[in-house]
Amino acid sequence: MSKHSHHSIKINLRKCIGCVRCMKDCPTKAIRVRKNKARITYERCVDCGECLRVCPHNAVEPIVTQSADLKKYAFKVALPSPVCYSQFGAHITPAAILSAISSIGFDHVYDEALMCEMISASIEQYLDEHKSPRPIISSICPVVVRLIQRLFPSLCRLIIPIEPPREMAAKNLRKEIAEKHKIPADSIGIIHITPCAAKMVSINYPETMERSHLDGAIPIQMIYNKVMMKIKKEARSSFLDTGRPVSGIGIGWSMAGGESRSLKYFHSISVSGVYDTIKILEDVESGKLRDIEYLECLICPDGCIGGPLTVENRFIAQSNINRLIRIYGSKKTVDVHTVRRLYKERYFLFEHSVEPKPFPGFDQDRSEAIKVLNKKNKIMKKLPGKDCGACGAPDCSTLAEDIALNNASLQDCIYNKGDMHG
Amino acid sequence: MASDTSFQHTYSIKGGDFINAGESSCEVRNTLKNLGIEPNIVRRVAIASYEAEMNVVMYANEGTMRFMVTPREIRIIVRDSGQGIPNIKRAMQPGFSTATKEMREMGFGAGMGLPNIKKNADVFTISSTKGKGTVLEITIFLNNHHE
Repeated sequence: MSKHSHHSIKINLRKCIGCVRCMKDCPTKAIRVRKNKARITYERCVDCGECLRVCPHNAVEPIVTQSADLKKYAFKVALPSPVCYSQFGAHITPAAILSAISSIGFDHVYDEALMCEMISASIEQYLDEHKSPRPIISSICPVVVRLIQRLFPSLCRLIIPIEPPREMAAKNLRKEIAEKHKIPADSIGIIHITPCAAKMVSINYPETMERSHLDGAIPIQMIYNKVMMKIKKEARSSFLDTGRPVSGIGIGWSMAGGESRSLKYFHSISVSGVYDTIKILEDVESGKLRDIEYLECLICPDGCIGGPLTVENRFIAQSNINRLIRIYGSKKTVDVHTVRRLYKERYFLFEHSVEPKPFPGFDQDRSEAIKVLNKKNKIMKKLPGKDCGACGAPDCSTLAEDIALNNASLQDCIYNKGDMHG
Repeated sequence: MASDTSFQHTYSIKGGDFINAGESSCEVRNTLKNLGIEPNIVRRVAIASYEAEMNVVMYANEGTMRFMVTPREIRIIVRDSGQGIPNIKRAMQPGFSTATKEMREMGFGAGMGLPNIKKNADVFTISSTKGKGTVLEITIFLNNHHE
C-alpha cells in the first residue's frame, strides 16, 4: 500500500500547477508547495476535503472504492447517505431514489435514515444516563473525530461512544442478509454512497473498532448520472412508491442541525464548517460550554449536504431536504422499546474509546522543543508578515516553523532574498 | 530571555473587550501543543488561563498575562489594574460572584472562575490590593510532578 493509504485525498501531480489555493485553505497547515507542486504532509492531514473543494484545477482527487472493487462480492448492498435524497430534484421521492440506486448494480439497498432515527433514540438514552461531563460531542463526522484526536486530544473523552448510523446499519444488514439468504457474511459487500471521501478513511482505518462494518464508499458524484437516467426512464412506473418506510427524522440528519433537532429533550447546538468547528472546540477546551449538553459538529458547510463529492448545489439540496421533512414529518418510524433493548445489550457502543493522537510537537525532548520555539520566534522577526505563500508555506509563521525545524530556509522568502547575500 | 530552554511571552488584555477575549489563552495552549505537552496538562492550562483572562476582561480596565514555560513547569501570571478583591476568601468560594446582570446574561459570572483556576493549578497564589489590582500566579508542573 502506498504511504497515503491512511488518507482519502491525493494530489494529481500532472494536473497541479503549484498555485497556493489548497495550501492557504488547509486548516491544519498540512500542505506545502515544493518544486511547483502541492505536497500533503499526511501526518498533519485530517481528511477534511477543503483542498479538494478549493482546487481550481481538479488536481486534488479523492481515493474511493472503484466499481471494479465490487466484483469480489457475491451480494452487493448499497447504503446511501440520506444526502442522496436531496440530489435528484425536489419531486423525486426517497423510495424512487433507493430503487434507482439498487437497479444500477446492487442486490439490495437500505435507507440509512431509519438507522439515524434509532441512533438518535440511543443518544438520548446515553445522555439521560450520563449527566457529566458536558458537552458530549457527536461521533457522526469522521473528520471531526480525527480533528479532536489530533488538535484537541483532551476532548476525546467527550465523544459519544455510539457508532454513527452508517456503521450500525451495515452491522445490521450483514447479519440479516447472511441469515436470510444463507450466504457467508464476508461474501456480502456493503457500500456507503457518500458525500465525502473521509468515510473511506473511517472504513479503512476505524478509530473505535477492529474492523469497519462497511466494505467501501462510492461518491454520490460517481453514481449520479446512472441513477438520474434510471429515475428519468422509470418515472411513470410503479417504482415511485415501493411502500418502504421513510424516516423524516433520519432524513434531517443530512443537514447541520438534523441530529441535534432529533434530540428533543436536550440542550444542544449544531456547528458546521471546518473553521467554525475548530472555533467551537477551542471554546469547549476552555471549559466555556459546560451548559451545553450535546454538540453536533460537521466539517462540511451546512452539514453532509455540503460534502465535496455531492452534485446538487447545497442550498437547493437544503430546500429539498426541508421539503421531505415537511412531507414525512417527525413521525417516529422506529420502535423505542427495540432501541432500548439493543442499547442495554451495548449493541450501538464503540468497541473501544477514541484514542488521543496529538500532532507531534517540535521535538520529543521538551528542552529541544523550547529551543525550536525560540528559534522560530527569532526567525519570525525577519519575515515580512505578509502571509503571501510564495515561499511554499501557507503563512510566515509556518515558514518560520519550517525553517526552525530545518525543513525550509530563509531564502525561500521572496522578501528576504536581498539581505541573504550579506 | 532567561535562556534558550525557557520561553516567555507577555500578552496584554483589555478590560471589556469581549470580542478578543480568550485569544491569549488560545495562543498559550497552541504554543503548548507545538511543544508536545501532554493533552491533559494542556487542558488544565486552557481552563485556568481562560478563566484568569476572563476575570481581567470582566472586572478590570486592563491587564497582562505573562506566560512562561521551562522543561519543568508552566507558569502564568495575570496582573490587572482593577479595583481589587476585598475578600479573597469569599471570592474563592464556588458560586460566589460579583458579576453584573449583563455579564450573567452573556453566560459568565457563575462564580466558578477562581475555584476552577485553583482546581487546575498545582500551585495557585492570589494577592489583591484594594484600588490597585489583583495578581494571580498559576503554576502547573510538567514531568509528572502532578498526579
